[in-house]
Amino acid sequence: MELLIKNGIIYDPLNRIGGEKMDILVKDGKIVSRVKNPKVIDAGGRLVMPGGVDMHTHIAGGKINVGRMLRPEDGRRGIEPRRKLTRVCTGYSVPNTFATGYRYAKMGYTTTFEPAMPPLLARHTHEEFRAIPMVDKGGIPLLDNHWLIMEYIKSGDMDKLTAFIAWMMNATKGYGIKIVNPGGAEAWGWGKNVKSLDDIVPNFDITPAEIIHGLAEANERLNLPHSIHIHCNNLGHPGNYDTTLATFDLVKDVASEKRQVMHATHVQYHSYGGSTWADMDSKADEIAKYINSHDHVTIDPGQVMFGDTTTMTADGPMEHELHMMSKRKWTNKDVELETGSGIIPVFYSRKVSINSIQWAIGLELALLIKSPWKTALTTDHPNGAPFTRYPEIISLLMSEKRREEALRNVHDAINKRAIIASIDRELNWEDITIMTRAAPSKILGLDKYGKGQLGIGADADISIYDISPEEEDPRKIQSALSHAKYTIKGGEIVVKDGEIVAVPEGRTYWVNPEFDGETTKDMLDDLAVKFKEYYSVNLANYPVQDAYVPHPVEIKTKV
Amino acid sequence: MLVKLTPKKAFRIPVEAENIKPDNFAGKGKSGIESITVCHGNKEVILGSLFDVEVKGVGNEKETKILIDGDASRIKRIGERMTSGEITINGNVDMHCGALMSGGKIIVNGDADAWAGREMRGGEIMVEGNAGHYLGAGYWGVEKGLRCGIIRVKGNAGDYVGEHMAGGEIVVQGSAGLLPGLNMSGGKIMIEGDAILPCGEMKKGIMIIKGKILEMLPSFRFDGTEVIDSIELKKFTGDLAIGGSGTLYANFVSEE
Repeated sequence: MELLIKNGIIYDPLNRIGGEKMDILVKDGKIVSRVKNPKVIDAGGRLVMPGGVDMHTHIAGGKINVGRMLRPEDGRRGIEPRRKLTRVCTGYSVPNTFATGYRYAKMGYTTTFEPAMPPLLARHTHEEFRAIPMVDKGGIPLLDNHWLIMEYIKSGDMDKLTAFIAWMMNATKGYGIKIVNPGGAEAWGWGKNVKSLDDIVPNFDITPAEIIHGLAEANERLNLPHSIHIHCNNLGHPGNYDTTLATFDLVKDVASEKRQVMHATHVQYHSYGGSTWADMDSKADEIAKYINSHDHVTIDPGQVMFGDTTTMTADGPMEHELHMMSKRKWTNKDVELETGSGIIPVFYSRKVSINSIQWAIGLELALLIKSPWKTALTTDHPNGAPFTRYPEIISLLMSEKRREEALRNVHDAINKRAIIASIDRELNWEDITIMTRAAPSKILGLDKYGKGQLGIGADADISIYDISPEEEDPRKIQSALSHAKYTIKGGEIVVKDGEIVAVPEGRTYWVNPEFDGETTKDMLDDLAVKFKEYYSVNLANYPVQDAYVPHPVEIKTKV
Repeated sequence: MLVKLTPKKAFRIPVEAENIKPDNFAGKGKSGIESITVCHGNKEVILGSLFDVEVKGVGNEKETKILIDGDASRIKRIGERMTSGEITINGNVDMHCGALMSGGKIIVNGDADAWAGREMRGGEIMVEGNAGHYLGAGYWGVEKGLRCGIIRVKGNAGDYVGEHMAGGEIVVQGSAGLLPGLNMSGGKIMIEGDAILPCGEMKKGIMIIKGKILEMLPSFRFDGTEVIDSIELKKFTGDLAIGGSGTLYANFVSEE
């Protein structure tokens, strides 16, 4: 099918186009320079962007499913009956798979990455990916607490470490290296946690700092498209910004010419000053200062929005602490010698000082970091808020007036213990396009594979919003971004006037790094022992078969 | 206003009838009520196709009484989320009867299946026969069961009576099954017959068991005796395993 989108106001920062009226031509799912007999879409001066890219959203895998079981009351929200094209939808913070795909597409998003795939549950994750329609997907396996990885880091055997990671990408059909509270998940198996980068991980005699550095080096040796993707130690503890800055500093010496060497996720939860919850304050300025003066780290804020949601993370000990504070229902999962997770419902209240400060910190990070290329917009769905709140967040970032209104209704503590009230920066459409499209695509290394941009040869993932870029009313911005006029995915119109009109399946991106065969053989001998002695499955049954990834996009890399 | 629904046949495929409640029927005539939809299996159908409908008088939801005259043992969710009025069922009723109701009264002249009065917030349920499992409980994963209101059962009740219950009252005149009052945090349960392993993970609230406790959890502290309804009962406090301070009154604790 051919398309001609005319009279649109195009924002395409990766190709240095910022609000120009021009035509976009589409053929066979790609942006092209010539078409013969296209269907014409008259954008009529409306805002046109590449399809949205969410680089950190918990949409599939073991703990999301457990979250659904833990929260039947959440499943009773957002119920929509089956229609001609769409299947039944349920849920708000833990929506079912169909609702996940439809809701992203309705907001103009076309690519979503699940950033915490337990390797042992990779097959399950890919099965859920198959059931999420509309969007392209990728899963980033959790590797930092794997016993074999920790053993190789201890023995300093970088070759085998690299070989194992290369094998894991293949076995899990994974996209990169996710690190969550390094050492913490293993310590949690013994009822403990690690509190600083230099704590010793029980039984492994290594430190979180060594894990992070080792994995960052291996990541660059393998030339993976994405850098290490880290959830730092000490999440959600007052005074944790020290640990966060120290973590950033750890990988300063790891070199990459093409991109960042560390992506720190949901940094809002890692930007707290003070020493207790009573004097916890925002250190977003310190974090922003570091990011502004260094180019090796990118972040996403993990914005908190007020209301009910579910928190879920592989950081088991942290979720248990939340449970002990709130006394609400909680569940915990152990994934053999790899990782674990915890889940608990949460209500972020405007009347609570801590929640108000958390809300402020996310916005502060997005506004204080000067270059939007270093920040990807996320809520760490569903931890800070469900992804459906993005349009509201964008309207807050774009309008100081709206922030002032919002500030009137939050806890007073925000005036003393947060910075938000003193910030007058308003982001423009170019900044927003970067933070929701170009930057996440570039940080993931997908820009080279045609995501987050509208250059010739790029994937024809396009969103058209029913709003003129001149519009300044934040409520109109929010409403327009919530219901795309058109979402085009792979050259096909999938959403029209905010309604689903086609339900494609979406592809799965994964990385296949090539690595030296001899070392791999030695590594597999070590791995076989782990399977024989500890795993509940056989090595031969472990890797995800090709059949589970019916629409793969394989990215090959070489050392 | 009185609405009489007579099932046209004995249903084999379950009917999901959360729309049968005074709130929906009030002020409507025969044809209005007949056109209300329910699900029969996976098909949406109108009430008129499943029931003969008779309507006498008019009135608001408070004055509306619904009589289901016949077997409702395959009709689920009757009176779900009802706020006032009255429903009488002349027969057995299927699962989730009166779930989430916040007012009004349901009388079951027969047995009620599982989940009767699930997560109820007010009103009254009266079961003349036996009740199934999870009477007045919270659905799997939901934080609170019965919060307010009263459930009376003349016969026996199944397992997990009042699980996650946070308030209100349940009276079972017969015996209860396994683990009544599991994780309860408030309210009162009275079981006039026997029960097995009551009050596990109890945080607060009162449980009175006038019959025998056939098996008792070890995590309760004996706190002397008290006279209730002119019977001397042993008083226990627990569940100490979770630092709970609930009260369990027991008549006889089996040593077996």
